[in-house]
Amino acid sequence: MSAPIRTLVAWCPDWPVVATGSPLDEPVAVVFANRVVAASPAARSLGVQRGLRRRAAQARCAELVIHDRDEAREVRLFEPVVASLDDISPRVEVTRPGACAIVIRGPSRYFGGDEVVADLVRSRMGEVLAGRTDVRVGVADGPFAAALAARAADPVRLVESGAVSEFLAPMRIGVLERPELSDVLIRLGVRTLGSFAALPARDVLARFGAEGRGAHRLASGLDEQPLDARLPPADWTVAAEIDPPADRVDRVAFVARSLADELHQRLGREGVTCVRVAIEAQTEHGEELVRLWRHEGALTDAAVADRVRWQLDGWLNGSAATRPSGGIARVALVPDELIPATGRQLDFWGGETEVDERAARVAARLQGQLGADAVMVPERRGGRHAHEQLALVPSATVELRGRSLTSDPEAPPWPGALPTPSPTRVLRNPERVEVHDATGRPVTVNGRGLLSASPDRLVIGGAKPAITAWAGPWPVDERWWDPGGHRRQARFQVITDDGAARLLSLEGGRWWITAVWD
Amino acid sequence: MAAAESLPHIIDPAEALDDRRARLRLVADRVTPMAFARERTLPVLPELVDLLPGGALRRGSVVSVNGMGGATALALALAAGPSAAGSWTAIVGQPELGLVAAEEAGVALERLLVVSPEPSSWAGAVAALVGAVDVLMVAPFHRVGDGDARRLTARLRERGSVMIHAGGRWTPGADVQLDVAHSEWVGLGVGHGMLRSRRVTVNGGGRGAAARPRSSQLLLPGPAGAPASVG
Repeated sequence: MSAPIRTLVAWCPDWPVVATGSPLDEPVAVVFANRVVAASPAARSLGVQRGLRRRAAQARCAELVIHDRDEAREVRLFEPVVASLDDISPRVEVTRPGACAIVIRGPSRYFGGDEVVADLVRSRMGEVLAGRTDVRVGVADGPFAAALAARAADPVRLVESGAVSEFLAPMRIGVLERPELSDVLIRLGVRTLGSFAALPARDVLARFGAEGRGAHRLASGLDEQPLDARLPPADWTVAAEIDPPADRVDRVAFVARSLADELHQRLGREGVTCVRVAIEAQTEHGEELVRLWRHEGALTDAAVADRVRWQLDGWLNGSAATRPSGGIARVALVPDELIPATGRQLDFWGGETEVDERAARVAARLQGQLGADAVMVPERRGGRHAHEQLALVPSATVELRGRSLTSDPEAPPWPGALPTPSPTRVLRNPERVEVHDATGRPVTVNGRGLLSASPDRLVIGGAKPAITAWAGPWPVDERWWDPGGHRRQARFQVITDDGAARLLSLEGGRWWITAVWD
Repeated sequence: MAAAESLPHIIDPAEALDDRRARLRLVADRVTPMAFARERTLPVLPELVDLLPGGALRRGSVVSVNGMGGATALALALAAGPSAAGSWTAIVGQPELGLVAAEEAGVALERLLVVSPEPSSWAGAVAALVGAVDVLMVAPFHRVGDGDARRLTARLRERGSVMIHAGGRWTPGADVQLDVAHSEWVGLGVGHGMLRSRRVTVNGGGRGAAARPRSSQLLLPGPAGAPASVG
């Protein structure tokens, strides 16, 4: 087994925070799907960690400024930083926004040693970053070890060739970033990469399958998967001409999606997946733009499409220095490093299944066509009103495959929530309505929650249906501590002689229809 | 001994031929390349079995749901059966649909997409969803062109999804037509009580196997939100 390729990884800490444009000495957090994904050092010192819920983070640090994650922006701002390395190595690959890797053997020979290259990388990137954040550089055998070296760097860390397993041994098992696997391992008493690597490889494969084997190889200082020695033949490249040339991302994004699909299918037929893909673009003036993207694990079609879109966004909307002079006329995806596809075992009971896969794919496709807000999925929230208990969030912000949304049976009920059955239509914009008593006067509720008279008739526009049954008032007094969000309302269930059942709300002396059972 | 009896020379040749034919038929059944959409069905809640021909939703069919007071609840109840059995459901163009009511009816929220296209892209969005999700709940507020409606119907047949169309008529004609003929709430008094359940009478009709008139009484919603049988 040959040693992995010697790699340099340059890492800008807290890139998602830097990309928001906020200074790092202020408490800032970036959240995705309600979880903190990155926090500024100032926020971290106050206890805001990755993985916290938004509310919990705010509880730890009240003045925390929260931004939603915008990966396209992260890539766009990272592109000039990566471009500054283009004359050190022609093949700079982006692992994710904020981290990039180069194969260092060639540059090292040319510039005279790993250390020289590392310093050069640091100074080049530092110039572009202009003090927004610092750069850490790690050099080791293989991208996994190099990335960990960059994390341990201050500001440069070189791990000698052949000393990788000693370097990795004391690391916590969590650095594998496989939560399910490391959770089991920790419970088995395997806490460091060294003790994991000491387990016999065949036993790990037998117990944890292909994923466990990959993790074991990483922990032992090897490549996760032995590379497929086949060089991808040229005709595996997928390309599309764009006519007329596109200068806006949304026009190219659709092409990106179909190219990613095509690449995925082509590789699938050959029984391989790719871990690195080159995104190539040609402008109408003949400029060639190339960027390599690597992914831990395998690049799925959705992941490729995202990266293509981000990259094109980075080129088209980047700084004036790197922006191409014309629109993009051709986009190509070149699968670069291939590994045999081990396939994913689809779960028999729940979990990921093929129907999930199909639905997730159509959701992504429709989102590309109709916009992110056009395809939503429910998410559980808390609240006493029908529209609060379940909220709709864009489907792109959650993982649709193998999702579970079961309610917590132990969760206490919300005081003041309405009893089942719930209304089938919850009006987004409540409809104004008048409620009259038998004498034709408006019905009111006083400060003690007492009705002025029995409701007798609804006045909806021109119609005046008689009320045949009703119950209420059910008062709620919400957020009384918050002057902006304070709401005080009384709710009623009302059936009229046309057979319709409605939920009415009396707020500030006005009646509204807020929901309907139809 | 059993082995001796099965030796070919003591078996009647005609019998042997029949036996072989039977085996051949079995093999033919097993290697049939495809099953027609109409032969495959999606399960529905037991309370709704009486309303549908064959007691299930036939794949590739259009079910039209109408009537004052209960059409939406009936549409949700129809979607609940397949959803609970593992199918994905898409709600198209009804952003106000009560999600809590959907959950109470039995729709699995983790397999639910809520798609809100503009009227101009409505047909395209529905066409993309056909085949990717098993059940589509649509209630277009705009007029769907005859051509679009016909194409969607054909696509449903081909891909085997079921479309539940609420409110108004589906121009090419629905395979199953369900109407809430009568509905009456239980539990709410004058100044007391609360909405507990609704007793509805649903009349069913349609084309082909569904043409025979059907009628059924049920609680929609029942006390727990899910449909329940009367009595």
